[in-house]
Amino acid sequence: MLNDEEVRAIAAEARLSLHGDELAKAVRYINNFLGMVDRFKELDLKDVPPFCFAESTECPLREDVAAPFPRVPDILAARSQSLDYAGAFRVPRIVEE
Amino acid sequence: MHHKEKLEFTPVIGIEIHIQLKTRSKIFCSCAADYTNDEPNTHICPVCMGLPGSLPALNGEVIRQAMRAGLTLHCRILPTTFFFRKSYYYPDLPKGFQITQSDLPIAADGWLEIHDDAGRPKRVRVNRLHLEEDVGKLRHVTADGRIEGASSSFVDYNRSGLPLAEIVSEPDISSAREAVEYVTTLRRRVLHAGASDVDLEKGMMRFDANVSLKCSDGRWGNRVEVKNMNSFRALERAIEYEVKRQGSILAEGGEVMRETRHWNDARGVTTGLRVKEFYRKFIVEPDLPPLVITKEQVDEALASLPEMPEEKLVRYVGFGLSEGDAAVLIEEPAVARYFEACVTAGANPLRAGNWVRTEVLRVVNDAKVSADMIAVSPEALASLLAKVEDGGLSTTLAKSVFDALLDGLSFEDALKRSGASDGAVDVHALAASVVAANPDVVAEIRSGKDTKGKKVKFLVGLMMRESKGSVKVDEATAALEKVLA
Amino acid sequence: MSGLHELSTSEIAAGVKGKKFSALEVFDDCLNRTLACDGSLDALITTVVEDGRRAAEAIDGRVARGEPLGPLAGVPTVLKDNMCTYKVRTTAGSRILGGWEPPYSATVWTLLSEAGATLLGKSNMDEFAMGNTTGTSAFGPTRNPWDTSRVPGGSSGGSAAAVAAAYVPFALGSDTGGSIRQPASYCGIYGLKPTYGLVSRYGLIAYGSSLDQIGPFARSMADIALVMSVIARHDPRDSTSVPGKSFDFTVRKGSDALRGKRVALVREFQDFTLDKPIADAMKRVAKICEDAGAEITEVSLPTVGRYAVACYYAIAASEAHTNLARYDGVRYGAEADEHAGTLREAFEDVRSKGFGVEVKSRIIAGTCLTEPVRSEEYYVAATRVRTLIAEEFHRAFESADCILQPVTPSMPERIGEVDDDATKGYEADLYTLPVNMAGLPGLTFFTGYAESGLPVGLQLVGHRWSDATLVDMGAALEEIIGSPRVPAVVKGAA
Repeated sequence: MLNDEEVRAIAAEARLSLHGDELAKAVRYINNFLGMVDRFKELDLKDVPPFCFAESTECPLREDVAAPFPRVPDILAARSQSLDYAGAFRVPRIVEE
Repeated sequence: MHHKEKLEFTPVIGIEIHIQLKTRSKIFCSCAADYTNDEPNTHICPVCMGLPGSLPALNGEVIRQAMRAGLTLHCRILPTTFFFRKSYYYPDLPKGFQITQSDLPIAADGWLEIHDDAGRPKRVRVNRLHLEEDVGKLRHVTADGRIEGASSSFVDYNRSGLPLAEIVSEPDISSAREAVEYVTTLRRRVLHAGASDVDLEKGMMRFDANVSLKCSDGRWGNRVEVKNMNSFRALERAIEYEVKRQGSILAEGGEVMRETRHWNDARGVTTGLRVKEFYRKFIVEPDLPPLVITKEQVDEALASLPEMPEEKLVRYVGFGLSEGDAAVLIEEPAVARYFEACVTAGANPLRAGNWVRTEVLRVVNDAKVSADMIAVSPEALASLLAKVEDGGLSTTLAKSVFDALLDGLSFEDALKRSGASDGAVDVHALAASVVAANPDVVAEIRSGKDTKGKKVKFLVGLMMRESKGSVKVDEATAALEKVLA
Repeated sequence: MSGLHELSTSEIAAGVKGKKFSALEVFDDCLNRTLACDGSLDALITTVVEDGRRAAEAIDGRVARGEPLGPLAGVPTVLKDNMCTYKVRTTAGSRILGGWEPPYSATVWTLLSEAGATLLGKSNMDEFAMGNTTGTSAFGPTRNPWDTSRVPGGSSGGSAAAVAAAYVPFALGSDTGGSIRQPASYCGIYGLKPTYGLVSRYGLIAYGSSLDQIGPFARSMADIALVMSVIARHDPRDSTSVPGKSFDFTVRKGSDALRGKRVALVREFQDFTLDKPIADAMKRVAKICEDAGAEITEVSLPTVGRYAVACYYAIAASEAHTNLARYDGVRYGAEADEHAGTLREAFEDVRSKGFGVEVKSRIIAGTCLTEPVRSEEYYVAATRVRTLIAEEFHRAFESADCILQPVTPSMPERIGEVDDDATKGYEADLYTLPVNMAGLPGLTFFTGYAESGLPVGLQLVGHRWSDATLVDMGAALEEIIGSPRVPAVVKGAA
């Protein structure tokens, strides 16, 4: 069971702020969720390998060819107002806490 | 009163190095890996920008180069590895996670031989070499470009997605000097292998140090991570500073705080970042199936490795060069190649070694060009040295010929211009060569100090010797006076 | 011409090719149907009018010049709004993407448009595909064309409703835990979730990367087959797309597809209650299969029965929180409020305002499960449980050719009937999500209408790469049972 502070901290880690009854609802949700996944403890998973991929294929390898994306301006168009003079994306003040 | 023994501290240092592997395209997309000096956000695509819906596609050459780099460090290559998502939030990380390898790196259990402070050989174990993608570049808007006090920052994603190999050593390093030797040795091997261009200025090689102290009274100080060292000198100074700083704390009975500190090169200190202890969340990267590497692929990578610098050193010493001179020649693979080609073309190794160490390196450093690209081929140099060898050409004149060859002249024309032709001597050119080769003497003459004319006579004598007496004294003197005027 | 919107995919393609009608006529008829119905149904987020008509005109140009035509030439379609379409707004059902227009198209859309299909719209969906009602969409809920007070299902509710109401003959959805199959059932049409790795995910806005697959909705199995033959292609841009898997999706007439097949029922599912129409459909269809020469058998999936729901939600949340970490307002989408001073404040502002409650809850859950202190106990444990589930299915298919099972335990609920405890609703997904855990193909097929008039669907599940077999079996069932009708939706409409 997680308490309010713990859930608030996890939310903050996910860059989410919870206000008013959002926090209470989130605490209820998380604790129900953990209750649901606590069921795994009934199983002996010691020697069971983790499932990572449905098919036993190997990672395909791409040829090392430089082929520029033809529509770079379309990518930048999403932020045309806030790019700086050199074309870099703006971010607000970074404060190392 | 209990008499305290003077405490002794043994530094326990591990180094983490990131190198950019040498490939044409990025690790997960086909954007060009070479973007130096280009405008921000010009080498981007949906994949390295982490746009919604984009997926990674692994570059095969990255795997090959990672293996090759790992093999230069005597690592074993793992037959199956995975990728993971390491998730945290930062604006230079477009997906909000970095694709990296974690528990199963591509290469592990290697070592590198360096020397301890007493000169004895010692091995630094390499725990692993693993792959990861690079992040974007943040530029902070303040006077010194540092993060503190920046009102805003800007991100350029050209660098996002470049292929990086992270190389982690065991904490086997015991001094700042050893750390530098480890890093420079590693760099030299990887450079010779062609696995990375490891250009520090371009950020192709970055290193962090983990420094702690073991006390003679049995205590172990906490580990401190030191970041932001951008040169070998900075690495050395930062470690020396940290060792001193931690030593004072421990000597007073205090405890070293486990933290990350930044090296401030201007002030010569490390400063704590006051960052909260954060954690990174890991899941298996579901978009990339396991990477399988066959024995054939490993064998091919191994066979593709050229001779390593340490082997070259032994060979050059075998030619008769001093260790010091040989060490200079093995720094850059192109220079070593040049030297070897020169020797193969028949040059005397000692003489070739001197010339490559001085004249060729001078051109390489001044013009900032690779030894592969200079106008004087190793074969041409060998011919030139042959002439010096058989007494036909003085070293002074040979240098002049070399300069002329650099300017693009043919061998014949170069010889003529330097006044050292097999045919008629160009007295004027001869005078010019001699003047160029003796700047101190010329300065004395020009400043009026050569009252008795001894210096002029000296220079004329040189000209006579060079021309093997085929020029008359008064001709030589006249030409010299003209040049000096 | 009117009534064109009720034609099937193949009928439209044949008609355009044979110059019976033009692609523009088809597009306009579908558009009219859409505009007439969508006020009631809210199936679409974006209706592509100008560009869609222009694309139809381009097809007509090709027809006029006698140039080669693809198999879907002139067929209008709708894509779930989590598939990127170049320069057409794509939202994933969320506010956080703002008015973002992707600079590239999903591979499936490229394949469809190269085959001649035209884009009529982007359909409504649960936000980031998290939900089974289309009620978590930031753009409001979609309504079931058979009863507009009820949900169409989710998360691909918009695409399902658009096909059921005959805006278009086929549409694409995505399925992570049932998001194609469940709305197909609720809307009374066919929906296929292909084997994981058969259809490219490149350009699909990710929710649960190891679970997501794109698949078709249609009102006939022949159309399902036709669309699959276009989109089931290996894509080197998707490293989980498996090469060398090409299937013949042509549907052969005749119910022989059922003869000799071992059709299994799941023992553990017998213990769960089903709404009467669904229970009745199970009995009826089992008999139909037997009569057609199939052998009804039984398989046991105890691990699935008890642990699949928890396992799915643990893995989906863990993958989802990483997939949604990129939405920070820096590069695209909704921007931070200018008063958000620091970076952390800006990120929090964008994400807290841009994501809905369900999405935020799952992000927090995923973050929680993958924190180092809990990761081994929950996230890693879930991946081990998943292995057990996949192995259990593998063993089951040694003695069965496919599994016949419900899609949902109950008929579509009314819109707004939301449980305060979201996790309670998760148990209803037991019939769909195990299929994604093991990467299996699953087909929802139409079985008829209940007394209430609501359609009833059931599901066939096969082993990996048995997609073409499922399509054949679904076609055989369609021949026996009959194809779905198109509801009126609009008073007076045909």
